[in-house]
Amino acid sequence: MLVLSILGHAGLLFALSYRSSAPVMRLPGVVSVELVAAPPSAAPAPPVARPAPPPKPVVEKVVLPKEPAAPKVKPKPVVKKPPLPKPKPVERDLDDVLADLRADAGEPTPEPIAAAAPSAGAGGVGQPVPPEVAAWIRQAKIHVRRTWVLPPAFRTQALEAHVLVDLDAQGNVLGEPRVVRRSGNPWYDEGVVRAIQKASPLPPPPAADEWAFVFIPSDSF
Amino acid sequence: MRLAMSEARRAGRLAAALLLAATCLSSLPAAAQGRPAVVVTPGERQTFKAALQRFADPSTSTDPARTAKFREALAQALLFSGVFEIIDPKAFLGPDQTENFENRDGLACVDWTTVGADAFVEGRITADARNYTAEFRIWDTARCKRLLRKRYRQGVDLDPGILAKRAADDIVAAFIGVRGVSSTEMVFVSDRTGSKEIFLMDADGGRQRAVTANGSINNFPSWSPSGDSIIYTSYRHRNQPNLFVTTRGRGQPQRLLVGFDRNLSQYRGVFDPVGKQVAVVMSDGSPSEIYRVTPGSRKLHQLTRNQAIDVSPTWSPNGEEIVYVSDRAGSPQLYLMDADGKYSRRLTFNGSYNTAPAWSPDGKWIAYETRVGGQFDIWLIDPEGRVNVPLITHPRSDEAPSWAPNSRKIAFSSTRRGLADIYITDLAGTDPVRVTSGAGNNTSPGWGPFPR
Repeated sequence: MLVLSILGHAGLLFALSYRSSAPVMRLPGVVSVELVAAPPSAAPAPPVARPAPPPKPVVEKVVLPKEPAAPKVKPKPVVKKPPLPKPKPVERDLDDVLADLRADAGEPTPEPIAAAAPSAGAGGVGQPVPPEVAAWIRQAKIHVRRTWVLPPAFRTQALEAHVLVDLDAQGNVLGEPRVVRRSGNPWYDEGVVRAIQKASPLPPPPAADEWAFVFIPSDSF
Repeated sequence: MRLAMSEARRAGRLAAALLLAATCLSSLPAAAQGRPAVVVTPGERQTFKAALQRFADPSTSTDPARTAKFREALAQALLFSGVFEIIDPKAFLGPDQTENFENRDGLACVDWTTVGADAFVEGRITADARNYTAEFRIWDTARCKRLLRKRYRQGVDLDPGILAKRAADDIVAAFIGVRGVSSTEMVFVSDRTGSKEIFLMDADGGRQRAVTANGSINNFPSWSPSGDSIIYTSYRHRNQPNLFVTTRGRGQPQRLLVGFDRNLSQYRGVFDPVGKQVAVVMSDGSPSEIYRVTPGSRKLHQLTRNQAIDVSPTWSPNGEEIVYVSDRAGSPQLYLMDADGKYSRRLTFNGSYNTAPAWSPDGKWIAYETRVGGQFDIWLIDPEGRVNVPLITHPRSDEAPSWAPNSRKIAFSSTRRGLADIYITDLAGTDPVRVTSGAGNNTSPGWGPFPR
């Protein structure tokens, strides 16, 4: 009995130690939302004041003194740390990332969004999406990204806006797109609505209905 | 084992991506939840396109070309922002000049979206014997929505281009929420006349004019927060370094601090964010210290007290802290202290010579110069010291960073073309634009506040 107990504990310890040495899955970082600017002041500014007139030349005999300078020290050999990468817009997008993941996993990549995005209505992740829907999503995404103007300062921030767009069968945007989740920056949100309006008509959707769009700067996560 | 790690990493990445996608969809209403969302990431377009009409000019103008000149000035100011490009008026489907500015409600937006315009600007110029007035409207053409209507007025003897720049800065704000800086000014030091004098110019390099012409040494210009005054160090009085202040429209400069020990040299002064007190570097012959003083009073508040050299104070935008340079650890490094001199702590630990700190108006970054080999680069560090990244690296020296009031651009001086000139860059540090040229060295830029 004692031997059995020792063997049992040893087996358990082995199993635990094996498990703890296994690689740990990492969850993605939380996407933070930051208000980068307040709305512009509505108060008009008064006219510009006249620039300061240059003072009259003063003729002075001066002996030029030594200028104040930053503290002097003996030059030392500089050990420069390798510079950190500058914040730079990353041209990869979710499609590309997911395509890479599939390639890593040896899966085919005909419809990356459709295969990866969950069908929340069906209540699960990885539910199959009809091919015509997946194809339209890809076309719509390419279409809208062409009209989306995003200045550099927005591209390094964690911003995310969710928009519902009412489309007719020809892909025309009906009414004003609705921002249902704001990014925290009203100019970013206005920009994504502008992009959708400019993109109208989109490719004809599989169904005349309300469609969801999510706008994210590519390097925000 | 390596294979297992690779598998686990792939699984982790896949799980992360799926969790993100699920998070993206969780906020959508039920109507749209039956299908995946269209996840859009940005393409290459980073600038808006603007269609600018020639403004209506109902008054009898002595200059028939003034609306065209105004449009050109507006276009240049929008280009300076880096946020807009300008559509050639020859491509317009709609009218080239504003019609019926006062009484028209709507806009034929399709005329402007068809030519690719994101923004449409129309306006009216009027002038009487004394004033020149520009009114304008900004439209978001895609949504066919008026974003802003505004009016500026100034004396007829001033350059109408000033109004065009202010309008351009408003247009930038209407589209990105951060005001443009084409209407701001910059001070700098130039030896173009043979001595180091203070000069003033528009932020784009226009209208360069002298502030001092005393033949002595003048250096370290900086602004009062209101933009009305410039303070600088000058040796014009008894060959001693003293702080001087020049105020718009007030003629001769005045000494900023009087009544102190004559042997106390005043090396540099910087106003606090509300313009009441000045942080001053002073020395009685021993290593310099930093003081706080209210102009007009004779009371000095000493902030640093040690055997090292303490220089280059710069206030945090909330006025609660000061970043400065000290060699107390053997080499010049950036330090932070509270505005009363307490809790001094070292900020930079990389590099053997870090100096010239400048705190961004939004408080997020401190730009500074660091010596690499025999020259200087410009780096950014956050006030907590957690992120420290290069902004400008070039084989020639880049020095004296100064922030634009919108915290989106930085001016600095560089010897990359031989003589020193002032350059402007964005926070990516890409393609600095030179804004001074000609004879002499142009250094020590001080970017002014937004005009009031």
